[in-house]
Amino acid sequence: MNILIVEDELRIAKRIERMTREIFGNSLLSLTRIDTLYKALHYIEDYALDLVLLDLNLNGDNGFDPLTKAVSESFHTIVISAYKDQAITAFEYGVLDFVPKPFNQDRLAHAFNRLNTKERITTNTIKFLAIKKRGRIQLIAIQDVLYIKGAGAYTELFLKNGDQELHDKSLEKLEQLLSYSFERIHKSYLVKMSEVKDIIVASGSKYMVELKNGNHVPVGRTKYKDLRAKWA
Amino acid sequence: MNLRSLLNFLLVFLMLLVTSCSQIPVFKEYNTLAKIGDSAGWAAKNLNEEDWSLEKPIVKPGEVFWYRTPIDILKAPEPLHPYAIRPYLYGEYEVFWDGVLIGKNGNPGQEATLGPEGKMFAPFIIPSHLTEEGEHMLAIRVSLLYFSDHVGMKIDLENYDDLLTTRLIETSYMHIFAGAFLIASIYFLFLFLGNKKEHPMLIFSISCFLFFLLNLAEFITNYVPIHYRHHGIRLEIIGILTFGISFLIPLYLSMQFPYPKRRLFLMVYALVLLFVFFIKHDFFVFTYRNMVLSMWVFSFGIAVFGAYKKIKGASLVLATLLLSLLINSLISFRISLFVGFSLILLGMFYLLSLRIKEQRLAYENSLIQSTRLRLELLKKNIQPHFLMNTLTSLIDWVEETPKKGVLFIEALAKEFDLFNQIENETRIPITQEIELCRTHLEIMEYRKEVNYFWEEEDIDSEEKIPPGILHTLLENGITHSLPLEDNSVRFKLLYTSNDAYKSYTFLTYAKNVREPNSARQEGTGLKYIKARLAESYNSKWDFTSNPTNHGWKSSIKIYS
Repeated sequence: MNILIVEDELRIAKRIERMTREIFGNSLLSLTRIDTLYKALHYIEDYALDLVLLDLNLNGDNGFDPLTKAVSESFHTIVISAYKDQAITAFEYGVLDFVPKPFNQDRLAHAFNRLNTKERITTNTIKFLAIKKRGRIQLIAIQDVLYIKGAGAYTELFLKNGDQELHDKSLEKLEQLLSYSFERIHKSYLVKMSEVKDIIVASGSKYMVELKNGNHVPVGRTKYKDLRAKWA
Repeated sequence: MNLRSLLNFLLVFLMLLVTSCSQIPVFKEYNTLAKIGDSAGWAAKNLNEEDWSLEKPIVKPGEVFWYRTPIDILKAPEPLHPYAIRPYLYGEYEVFWDGVLIGKNGNPGQEATLGPEGKMFAPFIIPSHLTEEGEHMLAIRVSLLYFSDHVGMKIDLENYDDLLTTRLIETSYMHIFAGAFLIASIYFLFLFLGNKKEHPMLIFSISCFLFFLLNLAEFITNYVPIHYRHHGIRLEIIGILTFGISFLIPLYLSMQFPYPKRRLFLMVYALVLLFVFFIKHDFFVFTYRNMVLSMWVFSFGIAVFGAYKKIKGASLVLATLLLSLLINSLISFRISLFVGFSLILLGMFYLLSLRIKEQRLAYENSLIQSTRLRLELLKKNIQPHFLMNTLTSLIDWVEETPKKGVLFIEALAKEFDLFNQIENETRIPITQEIELCRTHLEIMEYRKEVNYFWEEEDIDSEEKIPPGILHTLLENGITHSLPLEDNSVRFKLLYTSNDAYKSYTFLTYAKNVREPNSARQEGTGLKYIKARLAESYNSKWDFTSNPTNHGWKSSIKIYS
């Protein structure tokens, strides 16, 4: 596990570091503390990370620019902030969790727990996926996404208008964020259940789902039973 | 009263005036002949007038001379409603109608021995049997002990009742005006006394008062008898009052619609007015007319400038000026002078009400602004960024080293206490503000674990400044900078003062947190500082805030 802490209050940064080390123990590969935004932005360009703990109000800035940047990356983001009212927006952008200050180790452990368990995030739901396109960050509304295909470390988003976009997060990470409305029907596919029209059996006993727009998406053999049960 | 109903009222008033002044005359007056000398026979209806002259005679003081004016009665009076005649002339005189003595005003020829007697503008009833339609002869035996050069006359002939009442009715209307302007004058004088900076109010008050006096002086002859030798004083007073008003109206407009080189223009205008006042000074009506004309032209110019610059109220003043011009072309100068002045004064009145409204709005805004600033000061300690970060650090200190945690709590308590003390003030002693900064640094040391140093130089402990402004600079300094190599950030407050201004310079010695070329927007902190300075010093301050090679430099200048 590679973790970056972005926090300009040294005492708090140290607190987060101490607690994170205790929670992850030996599974922690690297942990870095950075106190300014631009250093953090350089750092995430250069190093592979699994998790970023981000304070939204660094050095007098408050805005969601750093947040959109963070959520478009391959790693998960947990926001630690003094402003509770930012929580809803943060979730809409697709953070894994929002930890309000002041916090304790239990609260932090609870947030980290979401990395590993398939807990469904149902209260605060994601509304956008931030993608990087031509050097800029663009927000894709979740309601426009039909299904998602895993492509190695990346994912491909298939949109209602027929477009396809690349996202830096892996299918596993997106599944964690999207579990409230998307279903993993195949090791490479995540489908929005409300778009499924029918489940069909193709020749060679291959299973497929038919979407409302007529597209077919393959269903994994192991996933079929689950899907059938949910569909019925 | 809104503008429309005001205009309607003026229109009706104007029409009343016009109709009242346009009755069909019942007589026709022919040229007056005059002759120096005295003879009882000169009163006769028919006389050989060969050696009588159309020229005004040049008489010695007290010398008796005669006027003879043929008059045609165009329409005989109704029964029991006799005609009366009112001659307008200087002197003491006897009035003969068709050879019959019908009245006497003083003692012509005996003024020196019997003393002054009689009044100006006296009416004389004409016996009804002498007023049938046709030719008649008015003869007047007169002497002038005073102003012997004021020779010449005009007459008015009308129903006796009407002759008496028309002028009184006119006077009563005009005095309603006078009363209104007297009240306005007193009211605005009180307003001025309440706020001595409001010079337009004083000028308006004086203008109204002069207008009130002018009105009295003009119409007083209709109910107070004045001997002809005093009449010049009245005309002189009217002249002076007209001069005063003619100067004050453009002065007032100059203040409301400021234009370049005002002082010069006003001085030139005053000279023009003086010139008009003294040239042909004895031709009173000529002088009045020209003064009022100068006033009108200059005021019009100012109002046009104001309207061009789109100053509020200028177009209304322009309209009243044009309306007064229109009225002047419709009715006699004597009345239009007053109606015109009234209109212009009403325009000025409207301007004042506009300014008063603006002031009230500004005042209300300043109250809101003050409240907002107070809240902003209070918020500094409960806004989440400060409070939640402090509490998180505090928890951490308490968990790790409870003793340090206690010290941290004490510093926090002290800052809260200081904020409570200054919360309601608009200015606090500089020492208190510095203490606030030092306490804040103590808290921030626990949070950021940076060594903060506070230095000050030449601080005058008697000085006061608005609360929270150095504190805000300090907060900005902490937020926007990174510690130097030795993990320290230094702040330094310098004070200088001279006759022109007092100056605080606030220096931050640290590394700037930004990438060198990233622009920095004005945050709420700087807005707070500027609003506080404006609240306490109006516009007499300066605030600059710039990065330097050692960190940041802010300076506040307060001009005296």
